[in-house]
Amino acid sequence: MSLKDILSPFTAWKHVVKDPVTIKDPFTREAAERYRGFHKNDIETCIGCGTCEDICQNAAIDMVPVDGIETRDGDSGLRPMVDYGRCCWCALCVDVCTTNSLSLSNHYNWIDEDPDQFRYIPGVDKKEWDTNEKGWKKPEGNYELYDINRVKMEEQAPESRDDSFIEIVKGYSKEQALLEADRCVACGICTATCPAHMGIPEYIKAIRNDDLEEGLRILYDTNPLPEICGRICTHKCETVCSIGHKGDPISIRWLKRYIADQHPSDQYKEILGTRDIELNGKTVAIVGSGPSGLSAAYYLALLGYKCTIYEKLPEAGGMMRYGIPEYRLPYDQIDKDVNYILSLGVEIKTNTNIGTDITLEELQEQYDAVFAGTGLHMGRSTRVPGTDHQEVYQAVDLLRDVVLGKEIPVKENIVVIGGGNVAMDITRTLARLQKVKFGKVSIIATSLESEDIMPADREEVVEAREENATIIPGWGPTKIETEGEHLKGLHVVKCTSVFDEEGRFNPKFDEEQIDYFKGEMVVESIGQGMDISYFKGDIKENLKLDNRGRIIVNENFQSSIDWLFVGGDIIQGPDVIHGIANGHKAAIGIDKFLGEG
Amino acid sequence: MKSLLNNIKSRFSIKDVTEQRSNLVFIDVARESAVPLITYLRDYEGMTHLVLLTAADWIEENEFQLTYLLNNPEQKFDIGVRVRISREKATMETAHHLWEQVATYQRELKEMFGIDFPGSPGVDKPFILEGWDDLPPYRRDFDTKKYSEDTYFPRPGRESNDPAEYMKKKMYPNEK
Ligand code: SF4
Repeated sequence: MSLKDILSPFTAWKHVVKDPVTIKDPFTREAAERYRGFHKNDIETCIGCGTCEDICQNAAIDMVPVDGIETRDGDSGLRPMVDYGRCCWCALCVDVCTTNSLSLSNHYNWIDEDPDQFRYIPGVDKKEWDTNEKGWKKPEGNYELYDINRVKMEEQAPESRDDSFIEIVKGYSKEQALLEADRCVACGICTATCPAHMGIPEYIKAIRNDDLEEGLRILYDTNPLPEICGRICTHKCETVCSIGHKGDPISIRWLKRYIADQHPSDQYKEILGTRDIELNGKTVAIVGSGPSGLSAAYYLALLGYKCTIYEKLPEAGGMMRYGIPEYRLPYDQIDKDVNYILSLGVEIKTNTNIGTDITLEELQEQYDAVFAGTGLHMGRSTRVPGTDHQEVYQAVDLLRDVVLGKEIPVKENIVVIGGGNVAMDITRTLARLQKVKFGKVSIIATSLESEDIMPADREEVVEAREENATIIPGWGPTKIETEGEHLKGLHVVKCTSVFDEEGRFNPKFDEEQIDYFKGEMVVESIGQGMDISYFKGDIKENLKLDNRGRIIVNENFQSSIDWLFVGGDIIQGPDVIHGIANGHKAAIGIDKFLGEG
Repeated sequence: MKSLLNNIKSRFSIKDVTEQRSNLVFIDVARESAVPLITYLRDYEGMTHLVLLTAADWIEENEFQLTYLLNNPEQKFDIGVRVRISREKATMETAHHLWEQVATYQRELKEMFGIDFPGSPGVDKPFILEGWDDLPPYRRDFDTKKYSEDTYFPRPGRESNDPAEYMKKKMYPNEK
């Protein structure tokens, strides 16, 4: 042992008289401005997506229900609870938070003898640091853990599409789809809002893994029309996407299309395992080959039922073929989805009208059950003076005639009444026909609704304008001006509000403000009604309707007549994905009813 | 700095030079040039202080990157010498003979990344992890979350809900 070793302990004595370098009372000392202390959460902004839980590498976060926070579209009703026995204050949860609701205060000292106190729900369990403005927030600027901008979809430019019906949207390439799929945080908030409750995060994950066969299987679990829905679905899912809170929602619809586009239809049976389906000996008749009928037929066929679809028009698809223009949904894509369903042994009898060619009673005798999904094909009229003029048309009739190849009476100046997707479809269709016939577009679409509440998809309005159609929202029709066999134009009055306080349709007008749109042709597109005149005799008598004349069905879409199931637009209003969803439910219901399920 | 760069370019095989700031330059070198270059910088260019030695895992390229950050205390600028080594055969020549504390950094890198520095004093002694028997935790293929879940039991009473499942239960419990 050296002398130094012996003496050095004594040198420590000199510290006795020095000021300590440690802090006497650390508990009143404030941490640095951006110190990462205990969590805060803006509970109203948080949507319970659980992305914070997912990213936490210490498994310190649980998603828990909170009294008073309701589960609804776009909000799981759960909120993050932090376990400070595990939190390492890395703040990844703050940086990834999809709504920016989560942050850290700079409060770091907290003493309690009960360890369970150190698990709490920030923002719900009140803490003294809830109002502490300092601490860690996600840095401003473009610091994001995922891309908030969607991968741009390539489209035909307006000038290269406005005189033809070629498909506008080009679809994602593999590179684009991978990048877009990478933006998804897989929270699954969207699934509840999708009427068919599709496995959205799951199929997006399949894209990330480049396992597109798995992707196709996931699509077909809940939706047998993916090429169609991948193009024209109303994509309600995207309206609740958590990524949409800070940026563009994920392009869920285009990603679905990407999966379907990658497989030629002759591989479907192999991929989906539907080569050998054993028949169970029972038969179902399906009236109408729209989304609900096709969906019911598909899921019934998988269960072994022999299905026969009866279709009034020459080809399958219903409104998808005869209502949606080709530039949005090319016919070969409809055929791809439909033909695969038919390839499973589903039979279709086209040009067959129920009620005249064969009656519902006859179907009841020949089949074990019947599903009716005949849709809404009768255009409603505004019934303003002049609507009985020969130059006043219904949008759905014209759209159907275009597909049937009939001559369309295109005029040089046209006025369309309506602000929904069908109104945009007919406006854009007629604009194309005007461009071909007259070399220019002169069409006005006017709706009661003001621009911000127009029911049409935003992109429809934007694209219609790109194609030189004029959209003038916020006016109500009062009279169609006619002169003998000529139509002159439409008189309108300013609409100040469409719905009353209770949210009922009850438009108010400012009679002082009037306008006049010139045109030789008026097209009405304010909604469609159903034609159920094929329900006759006993069936009509026994079929229960509610006080607004709608057919009553149970959760399996079974009507008051036990062998008759009804679905699609006549039950849930015009929407493809709703039709698909309730066709699926009806198939399960029929299976139960026939004692197989 | 200019003449320094010219000096070393003529003597060592330099892959790339990144002038980050006026007082910070990164130099990428081949593995065999790294220690000789650092020695030269220390002995002839006044980079007498080692600020740190650290690593990054470029798993996609199957490489580790070592960064030796050197400082010239007189002229007040830094040079980061960066070198890529194979991830599979993760070994590097030791530099502890240049600065004693390098041994400590190398011991840490051995433990956290599994990069070996044969001949470095105490390189195999545990650094901060005691009884570690898993992948070195700073490797990017180490699944931190899984490790925490497997190793540390959750506090009794902890329970979580998957948002999508929970929404199904609340909003459409009877549907498939
Ligand atoms: S990531 Fe943000 S929005 Fe999502 S649950 Fe966590 S705190 Fe709420």
